[in-house]
Amino acid sequence: MSICQQFHNVVRVAVCLLLGCGSVLANEAESGLVVYPATITLSGDNPRQQLLVSGPGGASGADWTTTVARFTSETPNVVAVDAAGVVTPVSSGTGVVRVEAEGRVAQVSVTVGDLATALLDFERDIQPYMARFGCNAGACHGKQRGQNGFQLSLLGFDHDFDHYAMVSEARGRRVSVSTPEESLLLTKPLGTVPHGGGIRITKDSTAHRAILRWIEEGATRKAGTPPALVKVTVWPTERLLVRDETQRLVVTAHYADGSTRDVSSLAQFSSSDSVFAEVSPEGIVKAGKLTGEAAIMARYEGNFALTRVSMPLPGDVPEAYYASLPRANFIDDHIWSSMRRLGLKASEPCSDATYLRRVTIDIAGRVPTVDEARSFLADSGSDKRERAVERLLASPDYAWHWANKWADLLRPNPYHVGIKATVTYDDFIRDAFRKNQPYDQFVRELLTAKGSTWREGQTVMFRDRRAPDELTTIVSQLFLGTRLECAKCHHHPFEVWGQADYYSFAAYFSRLGRKGTGISAPISGSEEFIFTAMSGEVSHPLTGQVLPPKPLFGATRELAAGEDRRQALAEWITSPDNHLFARTMANRVWTDLMGVGLVMPVDDLRATNPATNEPLLVALGNDFRDHRFDIKHLIRRITSSAAYSLASEPNERNSMDTRNYSRHYRQRLRGEVLLDAVCEVTGVGEEFVAMPSGSSAKELWTHRIESLFLDAFGRPNENQDPPCERTSDTTVVQALHVMNSDSIASKVTSDAGRAAALGKSDKSPAEIVDELYLAIYSRLPTNAEREIGVGLYKDGSNRRLVTEDLMWALINTPEFWFKD
Amino acid sequence: MAMHVNCAGMSRRDSLKLGLGGMLGAGFVDLLRGRSLASETEAAPAKAKSCILIWLDGGPTHYETFDPKPEAPAEIRGEFKPIPTNVAGIDVCESVPELARIADKYALIRSVCHEQGNHGAGNHYMMTGAPTRVPVGCGAFVSFHPSMGSFTAHERGHKNGLPAYFSMPSMTRSGGPNFLGAQYAPFEVDSDPNGANFKVRDVQLPRGLETARFSDRKELRQQVDSLKRFADKAAGDPVQALDQYYAQGYGLVSSIEAQKAFNIHSESPQLRDKYGRNSFGQRALLARRLVEAGVPFITLNEGGWDHHGDLFNAFRQRMPAFEASIATLISDLDQRGLLESTLVCVLGEFGRTPKINKDAGRDHWSSAMSILMAGAGIRGGQVIGATDRQGYAAVERVLSPEHFVSTVYRKLGFDPNKIYYTPEGRPTHMVSSGTPISELM
Repeated sequence: MSICQQFHNVVRVAVCLLLGCGSVLANEAESGLVVYPATITLSGDNPRQQLLVSGPGGASGADWTTTVARFTSETPNVVAVDAAGVVTPVSSGTGVVRVEAEGRVAQVSVTVGDLATALLDFERDIQPYMARFGCNAGACHGKQRGQNGFQLSLLGFDHDFDHYAMVSEARGRRVSVSTPEESLLLTKPLGTVPHGGGIRITKDSTAHRAILRWIEEGATRKAGTPPALVKVTVWPTERLLVRDETQRLVVTAHYADGSTRDVSSLAQFSSSDSVFAEVSPEGIVKAGKLTGEAAIMARYEGNFALTRVSMPLPGDVPEAYYASLPRANFIDDHIWSSMRRLGLKASEPCSDATYLRRVTIDIAGRVPTVDEARSFLADSGSDKRERAVERLLASPDYAWHWANKWADLLRPNPYHVGIKATVTYDDFIRDAFRKNQPYDQFVRELLTAKGSTWREGQTVMFRDRRAPDELTTIVSQLFLGTRLECAKCHHHPFEVWGQADYYSFAAYFSRLGRKGTGISAPISGSEEFIFTAMSGEVSHPLTGQVLPPKPLFGATRELAAGEDRRQALAEWITSPDNHLFARTMANRVWTDLMGVGLVMPVDDLRATNPATNEPLLVALGNDFRDHRFDIKHLIRRITSSAAYSLASEPNERNSMDTRNYSRHYRQRLRGEVLLDAVCEVTGVGEEFVAMPSGSSAKELWTHRIESLFLDAFGRPNENQDPPCERTSDTTVVQALHVMNSDSIASKVTSDAGRAAALGKSDKSPAEIVDELYLAIYSRLPTNAEREIGVGLYKDGSNRRLVTEDLMWALINTPEFWFKD
Repeated sequence: MAMHVNCAGMSRRDSLKLGLGGMLGAGFVDLLRGRSLASETEAAPAKAKSCILIWLDGGPTHYETFDPKPEAPAEIRGEFKPIPTNVAGIDVCESVPELARIADKYALIRSVCHEQGNHGAGNHYMMTGAPTRVPVGCGAFVSFHPSMGSFTAHERGHKNGLPAYFSMPSMTRSGGPNFLGAQYAPFEVDSDPNGANFKVRDVQLPRGLETARFSDRKELRQQVDSLKRFADKAAGDPVQALDQYYAQGYGLVSSIEAQKAFNIHSESPQLRDKYGRNSFGQRALLARRLVEAGVPFITLNEGGWDHHGDLFNAFRQRMPAFEASIATLISDLDQRGLLESTLVCVLGEFGRTPKINKDAGRDHWSSAMSILMAGAGIRGGQVIGATDRQGYAAVERVLSPEHFVSTVYRKLGFDPNKIYYTPEGRPTHMVSSGTPISELM
């Protein structure tokens, strides 16, 4: 390759990077060698630049940096480069680093500017080490009371506090300007004096030298006016990796004056899905052995950047396969396209019986009755699935079931707010679902509630959560999927929110008036009135400054004098322009129906926790919004997609897929649904205290109503703070309960139950077996199953006892416990 | 709405990595261990295989139990007198004569104190080692942090298919699992072991079902169980976990050892008498049987110690049988060689006010309380700390609930400094500043 050609390469790389194309590499067909960054400027204290060398193939170009690439400095008096591709300065001037790999060559020009003449700056040069070595982590000095008397702000968001703690506290022992080497800030992490956190830095390392120099220079808080950090970027921004393949990441900090710095060695890395790809503290991503995707986050001084890595299934699937998949609506387009990226194949469509059971559980929160199952299976209409969905959406069970889910999220502890308030709140929620109130209206009514806690159920949220900060946490998490909780006490470690954001949001709740009887546990029985107060402010807990109400982003309209601040907040939250509002609810409903959330946890939507299928989440949110926040529309949309009706049984090209919906994911029935199913199947209802006779479990107005069954099956406990989430796991306690409990045994053997009735009836054994299968599995038995069942009814056997045994056996199998 | 992050703070995706999603505790523990800071954790040899926590809900008076103050004025010292124990120099209240006879078997701590003077908060602090994060009401049943029992269940897992954490007859106010998740909630046995028909719920065949018919059903279940299982572990089929639980459940039902534990009727009538023919006495006996079966944590939740009025008569009524049951439990464990591996703790949420009120009772007082601890290598016959001459406040070797809870964990072989992650990703120590009481180690 001629010199000229080499030069050409460098230029091409540079141009491409300037254009910011992620697919820098497409251009590189000829030489196939891409080096990042294309040019380097080194200045300041201890500058370094990690070079990355990629092989041909666009986003699938292999990382050659540590494998086949060879680095040499063509100007050793100006610049040095080590075998790992780290470029460091020697003296001011311009130089060239030569990169060679697989017979291809590239050159990188290097400019070395002023080296470390300026004073070190605490924020820019010292704080990053405190984060990198975990000193200010939540488990160490960053925790609330510090560690062994030395407290830093969590993750170093409060520079003044940290500087004071290091330099001024502990009588100057932490930082000793007169005897810098003796400073505890060095001797502790070096391990020369005992340190509970062990040895964190090594002698003569960059960190050691920098901290020592900073102390020698006087440990100043601010060295002049260093340019502010504007953002960080990470390269590459996406990669397809094969099993066990690695990719090094380079993190660059960008400053207000246009300068940049390679901070790869100081950034912290984490993977959203370490099962698919992990990342080392040094920023080397390693693909696992599974097919899937992960988002790798690089964090530096409160700024973040993300890289998406995908690990497709080895082997090719012809394009025609994806083109041939059914498309009922936009959901299918998005799901097939993510499957295509990962080389997955869809499972077969599920059977009619499975669809009916699935959709009845999902929409109505119960299993199909024998008659429903029979008539659905006999129906030969091509639109019978759509009709079933409409029938279920129109049934009262829909409202009971979906209100029960919302009750999980909103339900107060009656010991706290009182029984009557709990009941009216429950009524409000049930009523909203009964009349299919548009979701935005429902939320606006909740947020702006006024009046009596005994009559206006929606006011009870403001009786239950009383302080502006409590309301801030719950409102942002429920309706915007934004977890602000962290920012209450310190800057959010994975997000942009600080305490000012938190308390400005809280200011919307500062003018809540309450009249009547407040909380007086354990009874709290009385009535309270919520109204708009004329005064009340929230101030910043550290500065004491009064904060005017401010939304998390965007703006709210001006408030009229005396207008309730909550009005403006409710408008902002439920606005069609607030993308988080629709997406959060879309993700909740999607998660319930599909078994796995696009975003998990379901109420944690943030840039650093991306959806597994971002375009689908966006489209679902928009569709929900464009259909006037109609929850039934959203459910209809999902249940009519081809993706929803896939079978759960995997094939060889999707058994490993647990996030991309190439098959249906099994879910254990919710406690209430399963208990109601046991009652339906056995023909014997449950008697709950404080409920009318014949009530179903999903009608309960509080989790405080006793039920060993529901406790065993993980209903939430509003006692716990935060309320402990409902669990969907199975446990040995559940198995024991269904197997042995007196209460279920007595339902199976009740004189008033289904088994007794069948025993007495004139039905043939085959008819009895069919009915049990329809009641319990929502399907007819196979011939072999029918034969086993019928075989139990020998001459002279007690028909009722045999029926009880078969019923017991069937309700103890997973086909009954799970939505398949 | 569905939530797919369990309370241990790991998503299903994380648990996939450990093999099968949702499969028992061991994998989670390992992962959390891996996440904790190695330098902050130390391995400690486990002395105790089990812990029996006798919880006197309401806050028992320290004056009328283990910290009598005969020199205080009458309105403080009350109606009872101290009596000597079998250890020279240790006196206790005359209301606990049977315990006085075996003071060489246990240690008394007289100097634990805190600042949570209502039941909700005091319960929480003593039961979890963490103060409530926000002020809570007196009647509150709250949980901000996992209880000792739940942490133990999480760390130990279960044996012989038996639940790892029992609470009888009910769960204590703050005895829940908090972020660890519902599978670490206590298994409550509310039926009365003093009753003639006593059985432990769900672990024995339902009433009237014969073993032979159960075996037939079991076989039939196997025949009709046709739902396809997805063998590929990566598929994360939750049905596989249920299969395991059914296998364990069957094991428990047919395990002679486990069933033996519940068969309190097999104890000799003499020993049952000695424990006391009342529900607490028989629960204490059942607790010993559960210890023998390998259950690591058993709470006996005994209410009714909130003596705002008529304290002395109430004590005359209740205490003789109650303290005799505890003395019998400790002696029985000792005679069977189980005390060495079983920690017994007796306490409530706080002590009670020095001045006797107008109703002849004492009110809440968290500046002083007494705790009895026995077994698990604790040197008996010692008193740790002291209150002042009138019992107002702990003044010598002042200890906190954190010290007490750390001691329990250390005895069970856990490092109280271990870090857990809540669902929000917040790191949390098992006990914040987890230092055990050195005299007991």
